[in-house]
Amino acid sequence: MALNRKTAALGIAAMVALMPLAGCGSSNNDNAGGASGSSSPSPSASASPSESASASPSESASASPSASQTKLTGDFEIQYFVGGYGDKWWKKVIADFKAANPDLNVIEDGGPKINDQNKPRWIGGNPPDFVYIDGPNLNDRQMVEDGQLEDLTEWLQTATNIDGDKILDILAQAPQQYDGKIYNIPLVLNSWGIFWDKALFKEKGWTEPANFDEFLQASDKIKADGITPFIHTGKYPYYINGAFLYPAIVSNNNDDYTILQDMAANKIDAYKSPAVLAALNQIVQLRDKGFIDKASIQINHTDSQMLFLQHKDAFIPNGLWLPNEMAKDVPQGFDFGFIPSITQKAGGKVVANTSTATVAIAKKAKNKEAAKAFLQFIFSKAQASQWAELSGAPSNIKGDISNSNAPNFVKDAAKYLTDPNTVVIPTITFNADVDKAMQDATDALTINKITPEEWVKRVTDVVAKVQK
Amino acid sequence: MKPVTVKWQRNLFIGTFIVPTFVFFCIFTIYPVVQALYYSLFDWSGMSENKTFIWFDNFKDMFRDPIVWRAVGNDYFLVAGKIVGIMILATFFAVALTRFNFKLAGFFRSIFFIPNVISVVVIGVLWNFIYNPQIGFLNAFLSLFTKEKVDIAWLGFTSHTIWMLLPPAIWAGIGFYMILIIAAIQNIPASFYEASELEGAGQWHQFRTITVPLVWEQLKVSIINIMMTTLNGSFVIVWIMTEGGPDNSTQVMGSYLYQMAFRQYHFGFAAAIGVLILVLSLITTIVLQRLLHQETVELS
Repeated sequence: MALNRKTAALGIAAMVALMPLAGCGSSNNDNAGGASGSSSPSPSASASPSESASASPSESASASPSASQTKLTGDFEIQYFVGGYGDKWWKKVIADFKAANPDLNVIEDGGPKINDQNKPRWIGGNPPDFVYIDGPNLNDRQMVEDGQLEDLTEWLQTATNIDGDKILDILAQAPQQYDGKIYNIPLVLNSWGIFWDKALFKEKGWTEPANFDEFLQASDKIKADGITPFIHTGKYPYYINGAFLYPAIVSNNNDDYTILQDMAANKIDAYKSPAVLAALNQIVQLRDKGFIDKASIQINHTDSQMLFLQHKDAFIPNGLWLPNEMAKDVPQGFDFGFIPSITQKAGGKVVANTSTATVAIAKKAKNKEAAKAFLQFIFSKAQASQWAELSGAPSNIKGDISNSNAPNFVKDAAKYLTDPNTVVIPTITFNADVDKAMQDATDALTINKITPEEWVKRVTDVVAKVQK
Repeated sequence: MKPVTVKWQRNLFIGTFIVPTFVFFCIFTIYPVVQALYYSLFDWSGMSENKTFIWFDNFKDMFRDPIVWRAVGNDYFLVAGKIVGIMILATFFAVALTRFNFKLAGFFRSIFFIPNVISVVVIGVLWNFIYNPQIGFLNAFLSLFTKEKVDIAWLGFTSHTIWMLLPPAIWAGIGFYMILIIAAIQNIPASFYEASELEGAGQWHQFRTITVPLVWEQLKVSIINIMMTTLNGSFVIVWIMTEGGPDNSTQVMGSYLYQMAFRQYHFGFAAAIGVLILVLSLITTIVLQRLLHQETVELS
């Protein structure tokens, strides 16, 4: 037995030395070849549109206000993840787009596992033309760094939608910039924030808070009444980071959200700003006053949300999808109260940290013309209200949806996010390593393992490493 | 002429079994291992078309990463804890159910085996409920004995949270090894025990001098198997219960590999962790084989 193992180990070691480079290089090519062979039936279509698109990207697509003037032909493939927002809107908008472009063969790649299913094609350089970036295993910043997305900066300067409106002008939140360039456009406008049950507050005589002092006062009363004031999702600390910490950093930075953009751009000085420490100290206040439910650290979002719905806890940091997500479990009479941020001073502006999902065109798309036309098609007011109605979330297009059939909390949220007194932080994706470091550090902070200064030290160490 | 054909037929017969197995082994074991070794030499996000060959930089980074060391420590903690816990309990149950003739032995044998039929994922979820600070069984039980309601976050300590993963892991493992040892004990001729009884040996003495030496081979296999399945498979229970948290305190090599490959987009680095798991498993197996080597007692 021992001998066999040893020989096996030796054999493997020998193979390590000899085989890897030769064996696997070829296998990769196989993969790529197989994928491209199976999924792009028309190589002829792939050559011509991309040539024409690269030759005259701005004229062909954006100069003409209605995309239908240029006849779109060939195949056009759309990858969309199906998650919390469902696929009703995608089905509808694709059907509409098909109707408007009868000569275009639209191929749908949709589903809850599509990000994994299509991964070999992105690796193999044969991606779909258009991608909706949402769900697990798909990260916009990483895709940009990997050079997989088409640079839309120039095109967007003049691009108009099918109604003739300039797309950049009608977006509620601006696209994220990577070194000044734009690769993806936010489609959804959702917001992080703090929830409570209005009915419970009324019953117990607590005041619904509008700023941090009121929040602390209310929490004192809540605790005195035997209920834990605050629960969060410690297993996934991006909830408390997104709904509490990031808005707090902005509030403490005189409502200037560029600090978060600097942080996302890995500028160490931004992390060392006093605003970051002040925001972390607000978490420390909650911790030291015993407002944070001890269960938080180990539970996931479903468990924390259930405890919140069962009135074990009064406040929860979460996103506007919460009422929809828990629709089946919301007790009778539960009335969601919501504020995008709770860390501002009395009289300060509310800060809304948006949560979004974006759309982009693959750099190696074979039908960029159709993809751009599709962008012009979906970023229109008609599709915006349709999105709100079918997906249960506000769309990223400015406009009044009060007359649409969207659910009430979506309309409320949209109102909040378009209010001139709300500071709306445009979508930000941190580097995945830095993001994880911040999540771990926040968790450690809430259980008294580290100090705010150590939080900053830990995170800046990772930022320094990532910069290299 | 004839002997050659017979020999050839014999080889053909053996070949029909060995060749397909070998081919599958190469495709599903050797090839992925080689592939992992290959990727561990690259800086690759796991999604990009381009990989950069960086020699052993992933390994250098790995040895500088404190979380990797913590993960290795946690893995070996689980290995040691599971070997001690499972072997003591499984042997105890096996002896109890075979050597002390009591009526409900069959019933208990089934009861102890049940956790093995349940998927580890279900076990993880189940124990998450037991450990839940608000609505969990453990705190509710402890609250029976205290005035104040107990609200310990069992999976949320600032350190040593890995200890809490040991009970579910042991609980899930006992049944299989118990059955293995029961089978071995039942192979020992009853006359050995009868003879020793006539000589006046007590149960403990019988256990030490008859049972253990004669089931040593099974105990050895059990220990090595626990070690290998833990190093390679502790990922599941960790990922279901804590995802390596809080603050990486329950990270094991497998969970950190997953985290790095699919959450933080360092596929090459993750492959390097995979290589580390392979190497450590091989070394530990060889070391354990040596340590447990003992003259096998043959029954004749």
